[in-house]
Amino acid sequence: MKSAKWENIFKGWNHSESKTIITLKQVPVFKNFSNKEFLELEKLIHHREYSSGDFVFKNHAPGEGMYIIMNGCVKITIGTQTNNENILAELNEGDFFGELALFDDEPRSANAIAIKNSQLLGFFTQDLMSLQERNPVLGQKILFNLGGVLGERLRGTNSLLISSQSKRKDLNDE
Amino acid sequence: MTNKETNYFQLIYRLIIGLIALRFLSFIWPYISDVILMLIFAFLFTTVLLSSVDSLERKIGNRGLSVMTVVIILIGGIGTFIGSFISQISQQASEFSNRIDKETLTQEFKILGQKFTSSMPESLQNIISSNNDTAGKLSDLINTIIGSLATMATAVGNFMFIAAMVFIFTIILLAEYHVFRKSLVNIIPNKYFELGLKLIYNIEKSVSSYLRGQFLSAASVAAMSITGLFMLNLLGANLTLTIFIGIIAGLANLIPLVGPFVGMVPAILIAFMNNLGNDIAMSHTLFGVLPSPFFILDIILMFLIVQQIEGNLITPALVGKSVGLHPIIVMMALLIGGTILGPLGMLFAVPAAGVLKVILTEIAFVRKNAHLL
Repeated sequence: MKSAKWENIFKGWNHSESKTIITLKQVPVFKNFSNKEFLELEKLIHHREYSSGDFVFKNHAPGEGMYIIMNGCVKITIGTQTNNENILAELNEGDFFGELALFDDEPRSANAIAIKNSQLLGFFTQDLMSLQERNPVLGQKILFNLGGVLGERLRGTNSLLISSQSKRKDLNDE
Repeated sequence: MTNKETNYFQLIYRLIIGLIALRFLSFIWPYISDVILMLIFAFLFTTVLLSSVDSLERKIGNRGLSVMTVVIILIGGIGTFIGSFISQISQQASEFSNRIDKETLTQEFKILGQKFTSSMPESLQNIISSNNDTAGKLSDLINTIIGSLATMATAVGNFMFIAAMVFIFTIILLAEYHVFRKSLVNIIPNKYFELGLKLIYNIEKSVSSYLRGQFLSAASVAAMSITGLFMLNLLGANLTLTIFIGIIAGLANLIPLVGPFVGMVPAILIAFMNNLGNDIAMSHTLFGVLPSPFFILDIILMFLIVQQIEGNLITPALVGKSVGLHPIIVMMALLIGGTILGPLGMLFAVPAAGVLKVILTEIAFVRKNAHLL
């Protein structure tokens, strides 16, 4: 028979992974992290809840960090809903956005709006900086992974640019 | 109902709620003011010590242990300082009381008064001679000061309690700082979330850079004062407790405008106590021109030089424009702080004004960019 007293004493010994850690494990920014490092990271992560239609952030607003979708769905748009809304992407569970704000002080380059009631995890510049102070190995891992993610995106943009240029060239040749 | 009318209703509603909240706060303020003061102190100490705890945590990998290490080092340092200070000052006081009785003191003052007046131009001598009881007044003043020291001792008990509570709050805040910060961030509504995060970060940055700069400049004042006092001793000033006087001058320097003058007092008192009855010290002149009994003018000049070096070279380099307040605002903040909380209020007036400035800047930013929220 399980006793509450013993459960309390041994609380944390066989502790199962939280939903937060399961979500964080899907994010390439946090790849190659040990379980201990995920526990350390979990302390820094902010839990936010957004209702359907809520803005997570607006275009041109000052950016403070990245968000990871734990539950729900978020669209990234340019323009306003009433006037020429252009949906750039629809992101689902495990996806992340806004990571550029971790590197620069530039304002947000698009809107992020919750499509459904969503639970997001926020990871912000100041948390990254404080982590870098206290645990530089972990901070460096995140920065290195972030560099990898941004590099991948840059390669994607480059290939898009090359293909569009070659299409243009083909059109000009015709 | 039009939109404008709704806005007026909202405004009146908010005003009433605000007034009720203010009334409630003024009602409970006497009961909570002490605790809030302790928390503010604890927060300021935490801000100063946080970087040491964080960097120690980086080395040993355990926050609890790093907090304990920093706290033990701090208590050890403060304990050693206060302990040796008390023992040395009591030794100094007993030596002084053994050497001098009240009559000799009055006699010495009389001699000093005569020497001082004789070195002055005749026109000034005539003015002073009309009021010749200076020596008696001075010795009365000294007796009053000694009497008030006894009443100060009763306040020490109260201070010890507050210090202990601040100490406990500081340990808890240091250990759980990042958790507290996270909880504070979590209560910000979504609409103001990133803005609130930025505001908290800016407040933290402005307070910590101000405090760290102040402590570094206090340390530099202490070091320069100790060196200066040591040099005066080489000239025959016969000053004791130089390290303590230097540290007290450094700490007093934390209070802007008034502090530097307060810092001179212990040095002048010690010079006076040690040199009473010493003819060479009493007839000492600064640069061979100005009469400077007990090396008082030398001490004042030394502190003025230290303050000039600190104010014009060290502080601008260390603190820079961390708070960036106009001198008039600094003076106003000091006056308000001094009126509300006395010397302690003066100590915290400038960082508090700095925090207020950060908040107002952010509010101005929000008003300008309301469409981004």
